[in-house]
Order: sequence, then C-alpha cells, then structure tokens
Amino acid sequence: MEPKGYWCLQLHAHLPYVRHPEYPDFLEEDWLYEGITETYLPLLGILEQFIVEGIDFRLTMTITPSLAGMLSDSLLQSRYYHRLNGLIDLAEKEVWRTRSMPEFQPTALMYQRMLYDCRRIWEKYHGNILTGFKNLQDAGKLEIITCCATHGFLPSQVSKSAIRAQVKVACEDYERHFGRRPNGIWLSECAYQPGIDEELKKEGIRFFFLEAHGILYGTPRPRFGVFAPVYCPSGVAAFGRDVETAQQVWSAETGYPGDPDYREFYRDLGYDLDYDYIQPYLHSDGLRRNIGLKYHRITGKVPLSEKQPYNPEWARNKAASHAGNFMFNREKQVEHLSGVLGRPPLVVSMYDAELFGHWWFEGPQFLDFLFRKIHYDQDVFKPITPTEYLQKFPKNQVITPAASSWGDKGYYEVWLNGMNDWIYRHLHKAVERMSELVRDNPSAEGIWRRALNQAARELLLAQSSDWAFIMTTRTMVEYAEKRTRDHITNFTALHDQIKRKSIDEGFLGDLEFRNNIFPNIDYHAFAAE
Amino acid sequence: MNENSSSKIQGSSSKGLINTAGLPSSYGDTKIVILPRDPLWFFAYWEVSSGVMDAMRTRIGVDTFKTSRWVLRVYDVTGVNFDGGNAHRFFDVSVEGAQSWYVNAGETNRSWCVDLGLVTADGTFILITRSNIIAMPRQGISSVNDEQWAILQVEFERLLKLSGVDKIGHTSFDVAKHMRERWEEIVSLSLPTSPVGASSWSSRGGAEQGTRPKGFWLKADTEVIVYGATEPDAKLTVQGQPVALRPDGTFTLRFYLPDGVQQYPIHAISSDGTMERDITFIVRRDTK
Repeated sequence: MEPKGYWCLQLHAHLPYVRHPEYPDFLEEDWLYEGITETYLPLLGILEQFIVEGIDFRLTMTITPSLAGMLSDSLLQSRYYHRLNGLIDLAEKEVWRTRSMPEFQPTALMYQRMLYDCRRIWEKYHGNILTGFKNLQDAGKLEIITCCATHGFLPSQVSKSAIRAQVKVACEDYERHFGRRPNGIWLSECAYQPGIDEELKKEGIRFFFLEAHGILYGTPRPRFGVFAPVYCPSGVAAFGRDVETAQQVWSAETGYPGDPDYREFYRDLGYDLDYDYIQPYLHSDGLRRNIGLKYHRITGKVPLSEKQPYNPEWARNKAASHAGNFMFNREKQVEHLSGVLGRPPLVVSMYDAELFGHWWFEGPQFLDFLFRKIHYDQDVFKPITPTEYLQKFPKNQVITPAASSWGDKGYYEVWLNGMNDWIYRHLHKAVERMSELVRDNPSAEGIWRRALNQAARELLLAQSSDWAFIMTTRTMVEYAEKRTRDHITNFTALHDQIKRKSIDEGFLGDLEFRNNIFPNIDYHAFAAE
Repeated sequence: MNENSSSKIQGSSSKGLINTAGLPSSYGDTKIVILPRDPLWFFAYWEVSSGVMDAMRTRIGVDTFKTSRWVLRVYDVTGVNFDGGNAHRFFDVSVEGAQSWYVNAGETNRSWCVDLGLVTADGTFILITRSNIIAMPRQGISSVNDEQWAILQVEFERLLKLSGVDKIGHTSFDVAKHMRERWEEIVSLSLPTSPVGASSWSSRGGAEQGTRPKGFWLKADTEVIVYGATEPDAKLTVQGQPVALRPDGTFTLRFYLPDGVQQYPIHAISSDGTMERDITFIVRRDTK
C-alpha cells in the first residue's frame, strides 16, 4: 500500500580536522574519540542490527570529508583504540567499585556493556568504521552525502574558485572512501546563497538541504511550502527543513533531551572520583575533565550536587515513549498535510548527528525505537532518502531559494561578527594567491607539485567554519584562533617559497606529515574561472 | 537617508583580545570587500596601500587630504548594471581610522556596492576603490506567484503556517549554544552568590542544605587563594596558565575549589630563561 507521505531523517556528522602527530597527547582530539564512542559506533551498531532483523529503514547522513579523513587515518585509529581500551579498563574497575552501591551498579554495568559493543564493532572493521557505513549505503538503506571539503562557510567567500574548490575536493574525496560520486551535499551550516547551486551542478550534485526560510522566502512562492523539494534554476534540488520536528527536539521547554530521566551531561566521573583513582584516565596534564562516564540524571532544575542517580531502565522507557510520541506526531502531521497539499507530503528532519549520543545520551536508543516502531506499528508514512524521493517524484517546482543558514537568527552572523570577522581578509587574500599560483604553475611536477598541493590543504584547513564558530561560542577560542593563524601562516610561507622558486623541503615535509588531509588533492581545484 | 548611527556601536574597534600574531596587518593592496551578514546588515573591510595614499596626497594636496573625511559611499544598485553613476541612490558612512565596519543598509531585499573614498571639506567625493556587489539575503515571502504552480492566497497563508514560518528565527538552535545555556542554568543554580568567570567552565556545584525560601537554611562553598612573589621580570605560570605579575613581583589568584583533589603547580622562569623554580600545592576538598 502506498503511504500517505514520507519522512526523511538527515543527520549531519561532522568534526573539524584535529590531528596532532607532533604531540603524544592532544586535548582537542577528544572531540573525535568522544564522537566515535558516543555517536558513530552506537549508530552503526543499531543500523547493522536493523539489517539483521529485517527492519526496513532509511537514513540520510553526512559524513563530512574532514570527519571521513580522520576516521580513515591510521594514527587517529590507533590512538582511539588505545583510548577505548583505557575507558574499558576504567569501566571494569567501576563495575567492581560499585558492587555494593545499588544506585550506581546498573549504570556501571551499562557502560561496560556499551564499551564492549564499541570495541566489538571497532575490531570487526579493523578500526575503519567507514567500511561499516559504506556497507549500509551499498545495501540501499543509508544515503551518505558529502559536505564542503573542510566545512567552509560558502557565503563568506567572494571568489567562485573558493566555493568550487570546497565542493570539488569534497566530491573527489568521497569517491576515495565510498567508491562512487555523492548524490547530495550538506552545505556547511546549511548556508546558501543563490548561485551556489551552480557550483554543485558542475560536480554532479543532485540535491542539498536548506533551513525552512530558505524555501519559504524563495521566488516564486513555493507551492508546497517545505513539504516538497524544489529545483533551483540550475536543476539541483533543495530540501527544506520541517520546523515542527526541529522544535520537538530543540525546544528549551518541551524538547525531548531535557527530560529529567535522561542522563545529565555536566556531572561526570572525571570530577566525582578520587583523584588517584581517576588520574590514569586523564590527559597527561593531570587536570580533571569530563571522561564520558556519568552516573546521574538531569533530575530537574537543580544544582549538580543534587542530581539523582541515573536509572538506565527509566531512561530507556522514556526514550521508547518519546519515540512513540514522535511517530504519532508524524502520522498526524502527514495525514493532515496530505489533505492540504493534494500530493504526498515529505517531512524533512535534520539534526547534528552528535546530538544523538554525545549531547543527548539516549538519542541512539530513541532512533532505535523510532525506526522499529515506524516499521512495525504504522503505515501512514515511510522513511525515504532524497535520491529515492526524486526518483519517485521527479516533477517539482523551480524556484530560487533565499539566502539563509541554520545558525542562530537564520543568516550568517554566527560566522561574521566582531569575534571572528578579522579572519576574512586573510582567507580571501589566500584564495586570490592560490588561484594565481595555479595560473602560474599549470603543470607542476615533483616537489613543486607537492608544495602546491600542500598550500591547497593549508588553505582549505584555514577555511573551516568551525574556527569562526568556536570564536563566537567563546570556548576553546585560543585553539581556533591558533588554527586559523597557523594554516594561514603555513599557506603564506609555501606561497612565498613557490614564488621565490625555492622550496624548503624539510618545512614542506613537516607540513605534509602534520596536515595530511586529502592525500589525493589536486591543487588545480583552485583554478580561477 | 541619514548616516546610520547604530553602525558605530558595531565598528570593529574592540579587537584588543584577539590574537593575530604572525599575520600581516595589510597585504599592500588597495581594495574593499563587502559580505552580507543578514537581510539588513553587511560587513565591509578594506585596506589602502601606502603608495596609493601618497599618490592621493600629492593629487589633492596635503592640506586638502588632512581635512578630508574617510567615508563609505553605499550605493543601492538593485537591478542595474552599476557603472558608478546609475545607482538608485546612495548614502555615506563616516569611517575615520577604521579598517572594517558593519553597515546597516536600512532597507531589505536590495543589492549594494560600496566606494571607499575621501570627502573633502567642500563636499567633493574622491573615489579610492570600489567593492564587490552583494545581494542581501531575502527577507519575507516573495510576491511572485508561479503560474504553473499557482496557489490561492488563503491556501498559501495556511501552508506557510504549517511550514512554521511564524517560528523562523526561534528554532535554529546550535547544539553548542543550547548546551551552553543549559550549563549556565546549572551554574546559576549551583552558585547563587558567586560571579561566574570563564575559568569556572569546569567548576562543580557547591554544597547546599535546605534551599527552600522559608525557614532555616545554610549555604556554603569554598575557594582557594594562591599567592606569592618572584622577581618582577620573571615569567610565571600557575596550572600552566601565564600569570601577570604586579610591578613588585607579587601575585594573587583565587580559584573556585570543588570537591576532590586539585593541584596548583606554580612555575617561574627568570627573564633570561636560565633559572627556574617550581612549587606545587595539592588541595583536597570533601563535602560531608
């Protein structure tokens, strides 16, 4: 039976490229290790179990080029494995320590079980979990899309060659990991301005996503609101975000992740445990930090000291009931919309992947319950991927979407304000210089080619929107400023050496060793028009 | 239009805290670039090479140069192929001494171009360099109806409401922002009387017994003060963070003291880098 409508879940998995082989231990690499343990591995485990049990599901997911680069990097893989085994060691000790603490023992056992699962999946793929995601894509259940090469913020580029390089390098890198070209792209921060779709078209991209007002403020008026994709003038499709599903998760008052039974993110064993006991699991500086094991629930609006013990069973039940609530609301929404629209509506929900697991600990369980319920308990709507949708409904309205982003206030201010606007004069100059280098060195070979390729890598790394974002949020600002400065300075040094026709091979080799993103990069990506 | 006074508040003068060490302050170019921020505001940055500056001085005379104002001349170039003279209108923004500016365009759904230049005492505008052209992000629903995909006004309004158009701007939460707000809420609950500094990001809740508004109550918390002195020109770090010494070489630092063991390693290096001294305090707090 044909469903009354469709639901597309798009998860954006991204972390900036943080990899420091020059240090034995580097704090910011934790972002990746936490993401793997808390989000990527649990998600992979759940999706694989769906396949085993024959549960039909569809999920769309960005794995950004920088994240894919880190997940496939052997140094980070071995560091993660070491870290995971350390956590397992601690979790095992915790099971023993809490043996006569009935309020904490179930949680200690839960962590031990989860970490064992992580290690099992990790070892199954010999540390390259991209293979697992690729298998799911090849099975037709998961659609993996790409993103701008280093999550560059496209509307703040004045040169088309900068936009083109972010897209072109991303699409080529996707092929390296997933063995085919990507159909779709997630524009970093959903940041769009008219004309960007032309650059996507050149790389064979067929669709991207937009915040709701990107569609609603489009010209001419969108006939189906955000409940059907539109074609840009270039022919690339744009899918708009459904506001209702965004709010169900994000509303400060009624959003699911704030439920009192769910795990409290901010109370962590890294602070609660005896120092000597926890010290071996801290960074080499010995400072107490979050280590990821947390024994308390949100409880309510109370101080950290009054947080109550976490109860895995209560939390699990809550995740199940929230999944039921989410599904029920989609059924009602789809039924209502199908009457209004006169065509099967498409509801697009999009979230940061790391929300599920890292920030909202029970998020993966929620998804697990949700896809099972959708499969077994209803036939009003079906999960679908954008590619499948466009095959089924190839006729869509042509509009020019409006410039927009999914950031605070809906436009570009998060990435352009008094905290970070100083970066753009340097980024723009570097693009201009890179395009000149391409023009002056149309067919470089040997060390010249290496230097040009590395210059392109440094420039791309400087362009990550993450640095501007971190400057705005004011946490880890020093690191973000340093990364921007370092990559610009590295780029400028290479530029000057190429211009002077004198490459410092030791310097170049060191940069290639440290900033090794995009091993197959071709500097021609920055060619001017 | 009047000169937009509110843009001055946003003039980029508060750069004192940003570390741009190692980056050039200019590239020897003469150019201006504008970038949209939202439907109403755009950002402009510029630089003028010393050669162009000298040439300008020579051309208009040192005295005229001195008495001229630096301005951004902002042109509404919506729908025209801008040649410098065919803009719908323009307005000037005074930007004396600045290298960047946030400009309030004053009107939505227009395209803009900016000339950086000098306005002499007698009001003559002298162009120095011209920016790129930007179309601002569209604000509001398009008035254009699609013939092939036409929809009645009343139906369209209903559809917009279903699409959440009334919630735009309230829903786009970033994870980091959301979690930060949660953390600030917890901190405000945990430390009702202490100001919260950046360093207390990792701080823990204090101890409270019976915080109900009525009846008997008790709140207590702990802080630790680390103080000392060294040579006034030495370099000092505490917990790895550089500490500025007072002119007499003394220092005082106050930390929030959470439960557990805290270490306060103090490391001093002489100004010539040849001598070092270390003292570490280990403080433990247990709340019962």
